Amino acid sequence: MVSAEDARDVDLSVRIGGLRLRYPTMMGSGCYGSGEEFARFADLARIGAIVLKSVTRLPRLGNPMPRIVHTPSGMLNAIGLQNPGIDWYLEHEIGKLAERPCAIIGSVAGFSVGEYVEVTQRLAERPEIDAIELNVSCPNVASEGETFACDSRATSEVVSAARAATRKPLIVKLSPNVTDITVIAREAESAGADALAVINTVRGMAIDVERARPRLGNVAGGLSGPAIRPIAVLAVYEAARAVRIPIIGQGGIASLSDALEFFLAGASAIGIGTANFTDPRVPERIVDGLAEHLAGQGARSISEIVGRANVGFADVHQYEGDAG
Amino acid sequence: MPARVHDTRVIAREERAPGVMMVTIQAPALSAAVFPGQFVMAELPSGCAAAVALAIYDAYDDIVSLLFFITGPRTRELAALAAGDSLALLGPLGNGFDLRDAPADVAIAAGGVGIASVLLPARELVRRRSRVRLFYGARSAALLVERERFVQAGCEVTLATEDGSEGLRGYVTDALEASAPAKLLLACGPTPMLRAVAQIATRTRVPAQLCLEETFGCGVGGCWGCVVPVAATSPRAPRFPSNEAGISYARICREGPVFMAEELRW
Ligand SMILES: Cc1cc2nc3c(=O)[nH]c(=O)nc-3n(C[C@H](O)[C@H](O)[C@H](O)COP(=O)(O)O)c2cc1C
Ligand code: FES
Repeated sequence: MVSAEDARDVDLSVRIGGLRLRYPTMMGSGCYGSGEEFARFADLARIGAIVLKSVTRLPRLGNPMPRIVHTPSGMLNAIGLQNPGIDWYLEHEIGKLAERPCAIIGSVAGFSVGEYVEVTQRLAERPEIDAIELNVSCPNVASEGETFACDSRATSEVVSAARAATRKPLIVKLSPNVTDITVIAREAESAGADALAVINTVRGMAIDVERARPRLGNVAGGLSGPAIRPIAVLAVYEAARAVRIPIIGQGGIASLSDALEFFLAGASAIGIGTANFTDPRVPERIVDGLAEHLAGQGARSISEIVGRANVGFADVHQYEGDAG
Repeated sequence: MPARVHDTRVIAREERAPGVMMVTIQAPALSAAVFPGQFVMAELPSGCAAAVALAIYDAYDDIVSLLFFITGPRTRELAALAAGDSLALLGPLGNGFDLRDAPADVAIAAGGVGIASVLLPARELVRRRSRVRLFYGARSAALLVERERFVQAGCEVTLATEDGSEGLRGYVTDALEASAPAKLLLACGPTPMLRAVAQIATRTRVPAQLCLEETFGCGVGGCWGCVVPVAATSPRAPRFPSNEAGISYARICREGPVFMAEELRW
């Protein structure tokens, strides 16, 4: 039997660059507003960080409705980065963030290297912001949407430029919609990223068969929730073997056991997005569960289990050899 | 009382018409807190998908009842709840109808499952001595559930069915149009119906409050998945951003679900 005291003694804190988070849980960008929306239902002192909704240089009205379609064990979204733009954001919204009892990570999106740099710099110089996440992987904005995270040269360029624009911790959020995530992960690391967020949503589509029309106003969207968890676990596993910087694993985490999968695959911290739409108490339950689980295993800190499931990849040739 | 998560228990579950469910639950704090036109997010027992937004149909004593149509796997899962099961509800959410200065003569238009949002305002208006006329439409007679409840609540009820199996043959808006204009119009139902109600309201110069339905993600204002175009000058418009045409997107779950017909730009 694990005592409450043992569980309390477990160290769940993590470091992302120079930022220390009390808990290894981050609320996924775009899923948690600015925290204010959820503060009525969840104890923000019991989460590690809120990643704010992505901000762009200019205001964006976002995509036409419908923006959300529920699918088996998940949902498609195509919000289209609706946001007031960085000027308005700094003037009217960011001040409210000072009272949050957890870390605040600004998320930056853009359509050119210049935009990423400007927004990164202006956001990062604010004291309310503890770190920057570069959303180079939003699948929901016109054609150029994912060019950055799907092209290793472009990733390298935008990360280097953003790196030069701030000394605050820099997280790069990767897309699963690539042939080999390790290539992009390595580029981001060598361009100066302090951590990688793995993964953003998986591109998808749903069709209304009666009307013979796409269900989303934007036609295509990003799939999130438990449906993408195995995709995310593998991406984390592969990325963790390719880089030395911490990985923030996310994609369909809704329970303690889901969270453990990501830590065991090599994530140092986890992101929770869609599960907040199921129950805003999920993040707190996961933190409590982690402490209890680790205490039960005799572990003193979360870092002890990071990457523990890493057994490499099965060597197919061995079996071929046996058969021959 | 602010919204929060309520761990409740199902007392009864009943299929009121094919595919139309009524789930009654014990939820004292929720029942005491609710305003007409508000909703809850109901957590699915499987936890496999986002919670489902449901109108609060009725609230009295320590009881809350939810009336909904089975439209897909998520509502089917809720429909399978049995008496004694636990159910987590987040709420009450959203801004309800504004009934502060209830006029003497109010018309309420409800289409299909839209009936689930109008019992509480109807009852409140009757309590404040308004004359309340309910115009209630559905595809066929069997789907006109709960009409006796509105009669009991003191409403004058006019029915319409698309197949003519009961009441007027046609849409609920046809019935509304054929009647004398009221001083205030409340409506809930599918979007095409609400657009038609908005047109009638403009033509007859009656202020209309429309309770909108949409697919929600979070239900609490955090994801911007549930927006509707509104005039940037509307008090419910987010102050920024708006486009050149003076249109802004407001969140149905947070700024709504009830909007004045004249502020919508759909
Ligand atoms: C409605 C919605 C909006 C999102 N908006 C953003 C965004 O603005 N920026 C971003 O980097 N990721 C965004 N995401 C992706 C999430 O942060 C997260 O990476 C992804 O959904 C996978 O995690 P999950 O399954 O726990 O939700 C969004 C996801 C959803 C569901
Ligand atoms: S459903 Fe998330 S903002 Fe309305």
